[in-house]
Amino acid sequence: MTMNNASTVATMNAAKADTATNTTVTNTATTNTAKGSDMLLELDHISKIYGDLHAVDDLSLTVPEGEWLAIVGSSGSGKTTLMNIIGCMDAPSRGSVALEGRRLEDLNATQLADVRKNVIGLVFQKFYLVPHLTAVENVMMAQYYHSVVDEQQALEALDHVGLKDRAHHLPGELSGGEQQRVCIARALINHPKLILADEPTGNLDETNERIVLDLFRELHGQGTTIIVVTHDALVASCAEREIMLNHGVLVGERWNDEQARLAYEQSGGRPAFTGSSAQDAQHEGTAVDFSDPTKKAKTAGLSE
Amino acid sequence: MAADRQTHNIDNAHDSSTGQISGTARQKRRSARSQRRHAMTNRRMFFVMLFSAVFRRRSRAIMAVIASIVGAATLFCLAAVCVAVPQQMTEDMRSYGANLIVTPAAVAAQSHQSGSTGISAAAASKVSAKVTAAAPARSASYRYENVRINAAPYVMAGIDPAATKTLNRHWDVEGQWPSAGSVMLGHDAANALGLGVGSYVTIGYRAADNGANGVSGASSGDSSNGPNSTSGSSGNAAADGNADSGSNTGDMSGMSGMSGMSGMSGMSGMDHSAHNHGGSTGSGSSNGSSDSSATSGSGSSSNSSGNSDSSISGTSSGSGSINNGTDGRASTDILDTKGTQFRVSGIVSTGGSEDEIVYAKASDLAALTGVTRGADVIEYSSDASGNSLTGLVASINRDTALGAKAQQVTKITSSNQRIITMLQTLFWIVSVVVLVLTLVGVGTTISSIVSQRRNEIGLRKALGAPSRGVGLEFHAESALYGLLGGLIGTGIGYGFARVLGLTVFHRVIEFDWALGAASIALSVLVAVAASIPPVRRATRIDPAVVLREE
Repeated sequence: MTMNNASTVATMNAAKADTATNTTVTNTATTNTAKGSDMLLELDHISKIYGDLHAVDDLSLTVPEGEWLAIVGSSGSGKTTLMNIIGCMDAPSRGSVALEGRRLEDLNATQLADVRKNVIGLVFQKFYLVPHLTAVENVMMAQYYHSVVDEQQALEALDHVGLKDRAHHLPGELSGGEQQRVCIARALINHPKLILADEPTGNLDETNERIVLDLFRELHGQGTTIIVVTHDALVASCAEREIMLNHGVLVGERWNDEQARLAYEQSGGRPAFTGSSAQDAQHEGTAVDFSDPTKKAKTAGLSE
Repeated sequence: MAADRQTHNIDNAHDSSTGQISGTARQKRRSARSQRRHAMTNRRMFFVMLFSAVFRRRSRAIMAVIASIVGAATLFCLAAVCVAVPQQMTEDMRSYGANLIVTPAAVAAQSHQSGSTGISAAAASKVSAKVTAAAPARSASYRYENVRINAAPYVMAGIDPAATKTLNRHWDVEGQWPSAGSVMLGHDAANALGLGVGSYVTIGYRAADNGANGVSGASSGDSSNGPNSTSGSSGNAAADGNADSGSNTGDMSGMSGMSGMSGMSGMSGMDHSAHNHGGSTGSGSSNGSSDSSATSGSGSSSNSSGNSDSSISGTSSGSGSINNGTDGRASTDILDTKGTQFRVSGIVSTGGSEDEIVYAKASDLAALTGVTRGADVIEYSSDASGNSLTGLVASINRDTALGAKAQQVTKITSSNQRIITMLQTLFWIVSVVVLVLTLVGVGTTISSIVSQRRNEIGLRKALGAPSRGVGLEFHAESALYGLLGGLIGTGIGYGFARVLGLTVFHRVIEFDWALGAASIALSVLVAVAASIPPVRRATRIDPAVVLREE
């Protein structure tokens, strides 16, 4: 909580999401007509509560398009819960999530599934390839649920991740690194705006880790937004921005790329913040008190 | 509706917001360019996923398919047997006895002293026309005469072998049915005479034995012998019993208890009652009339032949072969041991009165007797039953001009029906049990498949698969299991049914295509039905819960 306080002070500046800047950025970046914001993802005071466990505690976070964000933290820090919420696979107990300006809590299951398949590409630590489908069929399955199957395109995607000659192998015949690359090819095949990766290198050796990170770098270079959940410092350091969770509470934020940070702040981005004062998590009232205008909380620079 | 509209709006919003992403745009262009091809490809992908789930995961698939196979095989086998066997039983049962018997009317019988002509050909064809008008029917006619073999009296029946064979398929014939110049002996008769298939037998005919033809013999017999008429009537009584009880034994005991003469009188009495149909004639409605006719006939005939018996027995055995080539003809000579030689073509055994009788072609019998006349009995196996059969009988009996009397036989058909009903009830019970077992088997397997593939289902949903899509895939997979199981099972079931049909029912069961299609369809249906609960569980799988596990 001391960190929270410190960061609160530190990052007051970014408060002004003035519409002027917003508009200019919008003009350059997109013709988005839905909302005034160009933030791809907006988490507004979200909490996920299981019984009296706060898996995620009152987190507010915005992620602009094209950002590479790492969510770090030890096991049980709520990273995966957060990822499920961002990935439209879970709903927060409180707060609201907006993806591309659309509030997810307004959507029903089918619509969530639509958002999932249209906006998000998922990469898992355990790959989750369908064992009885070949590599290319696994990729085509994503096309199948998204729109239309195109084997040529799927093969190109596999070629892109260096698996052209392994396309017709079953996952069981592929190494872990190869499986992860299939998984990435599958995540990319529908050109999602957001790649959500959960410990993408957790099961890989260093060589494969490097390959995967290079792929992410390339994607990032192409403007894809990437959110990586990891406890691996190396993976996290590749990201432009890191936020750290501890027991569901945001405990720090760090930028690895000053340029990106400047751009972010220019576009009206604010540092993430939490309404919870960690130990005093019961203070729900606190968050309400620090509602919108006042609460430019925290962690601008570095909590690590 | 509202939800749909909402989805639509969101899609629009999404499209417009992602329009600038080159990949998506490319995709959209492509999909617009060849929507049809894409639809085909997506359908292909569906089947790729379906078939790879089934054929690349054989161990699980095999369990589900085996469950279906067992169900389909059992059901098809049962159904095939249950369809085929009652058909055959109906035919077989009917052949155990005609369900309609026509005998000469009392008037005709009584007048036979002046020459019994049986049922005239004209009357027979009229009756046949009546019967076939009511329902399809088969018929066989019998003409009975008393003959002598080695001087012992036997009843010889003139038949049309083909018709009789069709009507009496249960007759167990060793060798061949009679043809011209050959006879078929009843089993008991053959035993008594020590004859086998291929042996030769000399059969003699005496008009005196047959009151019907020997008018003079009959009249002389009438006047001569008082006691014999008594025995004659006892013979008739035996014949009555025969008609009632359905066996010829009463008749035979009557014969054995009598002298040769009275035995013969019994035989001649039999001649005019429907003795040969003991197995099937349950009704005794015509006994009264045949009695009276028989009495008069037998009384007369036995008298005339009684004199000869003692002397014949000694000589007949030696003389049998001597008489080769002599044309059988009516003879009144009581010492005459001449006869016509016939080859024994076959031996029939039915367990009924037929075992006592000598069968020959009607033309041979006519040649032997030298007299051509109508049949004594015509059996019909009519497809009519119940009221229509009763009505048919009544209408024949009403028409006195026909000179024929009809009787209905109901005993066999009703028990026939009972057996079929029992069989079908059994079939339904077993079917239900098998169906339930199949449901449980397939359901359990699909359940285990679903739980084994929880992660995959979660992943599919994470990739945007709607619950309905996941459900559809699993139902299709179950249907495929059912189809495979149904195809294989129906084949196996048919194999079983065929073997069963050959070994137990002695008939080839043809493959019933309709039944086969029904069996396969049912397998698919059962497999899909069995997969409903597990698939419902599968569609409720929450991707977050599945993918969270670490």
